[in-house]
Amino acid sequence: MIEFRQVTKRYDSDHTALRQVNFGLERGELAFLTGHSGAGKSTLLKLIMVMERPSAGEVIVGGQVLNTLPRRQVPYIRRHIGVVFQNHQLLFDRTVFDNVAMPLEVMGTPARDIGRRVRAALDKVGLLNKEKMNPLQLSGGEQQRVGIARAVVNKPPVLLADEPTGNLDPELSADIMRLFAEFSQVGVTVLIASHDIALINDLGRRTLTLEQGRLVSGVGAGGGGRG
Amino acid sequence: MANDPRRQQSRGAKSARSPWREQAESYLSHHRKVARDSAQKLWQSPIASMMTWTVMGVALALPVALMLLLASLEGVSAGWESSARVTAYLNDSVSIEEAQALQAEVADDSRVAEVELIDRDTALGEFRASSGLEDALDYLDENPLPHTLLVTPSESSRTADGVEMLLTVIEGLDGVERVQVDLGWLQRLNAMTDLLGRAVWALALLLAAAVVLVIGNTVRLSIENRRDEILVAKLVGGTDAFVRRPFLYTGAWFGLGGGIVAWILLQLSLWWLSGPVERLAGLYRSEFSLNGLSFDGALALIIAAMLLGWLGAWVAVKRHLDDIEPGEIAGG
Repeated sequence: MIEFRQVTKRYDSDHTALRQVNFGLERGELAFLTGHSGAGKSTLLKLIMVMERPSAGEVIVGGQVLNTLPRRQVPYIRRHIGVVFQNHQLLFDRTVFDNVAMPLEVMGTPARDIGRRVRAALDKVGLLNKEKMNPLQLSGGEQQRVGIARAVVNKPPVLLADEPTGNLDPELSADIMRLFAEFSQVGVTVLIASHDIALINDLGRRTLTLEQGRLVSGVGAGGGGRG
Repeated sequence: MANDPRRQQSRGAKSARSPWREQAESYLSHHRKVARDSAQKLWQSPIASMMTWTVMGVALALPVALMLLLASLEGVSAGWESSARVTAYLNDSVSIEEAQALQAEVADDSRVAEVELIDRDTALGEFRASSGLEDALDYLDENPLPHTLLVTPSESSRTADGVEMLLTVIEGLDGVERVQVDLGWLQRLNAMTDLLGRAVWALALLLAAAVVLVIGNTVRLSIENRRDEILVAKLVGGTDAFVRRPFLYTGAWFGLGGGIVAWILLQLSLWWLSGPVERLAGLYRSEFSLNGLSFDGALALIIAAMLLGWLGAWVAVKRHLDDIEPGEIAGG
């Protein structure tokens, strides 16, 4: 579902964020991406989102090589990738419902389908009764769950998360991780960037570790980081 | 999965109706929603919106007012041109019979529609009646006025050039002492309206550019205000057209408001000026009147204003929206 082939990302002549990164994620696989801050985690996620283009190598998502993708095609790729951010990126000028509905709106989903699907996504994260509230009225954990509902509302085959538990206490973090695991069970490829080593070790999933732009573990497909 | 986004979308719209129709309906309803939302956003900040509308209204009303004035002036000169008559004063020595012969000769010319002969006695009578110099005229031994031919040019010769040509022909006739036509001021008026016309167009272009810039700047500010929304829309796969749409509607609504304000300003100033203009025209015995905008004209003004607003928004969007890319969201 996601494949990196010899991917290098250079920002300036002296700053190389990723060096010859190789890995592949299967459909329905859940993997963690770890490393110190500045190790290239965010850059790797941005390459998948086509927010950045690789300097060398190939990034392939869903069989599509993203390197040569024309700019106007980028939105259509993003519709197949749900993203969850550490700071949620929610809009506070509208309700929880309207926040979650955004991915459906940009796709031109008919209004009556939007209602049904938004409620299904909110139900999944346990916030069905908060749809009319403003995200500002919610707690940090609830806001993060709204962000997750928005990321999965259009049933994308790929789900990315950038430090999704960064601001949450361990119990809430475990909750969120359970949600991600559920998505992977129904076939969604999930990649979670995190430096919460304790949490990652608890779950015992495949872990990709970046060190100064190099992938130092988890290269092999399936369960490389297990145990 | 990512190969054909359209197939993906139509799969989500399984129902009795065809996916095509479903898609078109959802597209239209999205347009309606965006149009409504952007109009509401303008209403939510009434003072700022009103100020933009007023700036636009003033900038639009000025050239349109000048164009209306110009159209009225052209109406005046056209009216006078058609009533231009050549007056030929005959020699004192020409008898009434010779004058009648001349009248017939001139009337034969194809460029002449009508020739009226005013003999010297009738002329004196009219002069006596209209001038109020009755007593003074009684002191004269004989009638000082000559026979006069009033020549009305035919339809095709009723232009400044045509009248001038006719003038030379009549001037060359035997027995014609002097020919008079008051064309000079008509030509000057024509030249002035030509000049004014160009000046108005130049002014209109400049002010239209100013309107585009004003709207562009206003829309730029609203782009800045809605930066987060744009980022999220781009993140979840909003196309450029999707992200642009609310701002283009905002520009068009600014244009609509500006057009209406311009129309109101025009109507107000017409109403304010109509009394004095009528009085002045009355003093000159002129039919001149300031014409307001017709319904079509008002509609054209408002549509042009909306197009200018849309254009201004488009300039701003083109310039600033591409700068907002979600790449900056996540840190190192």
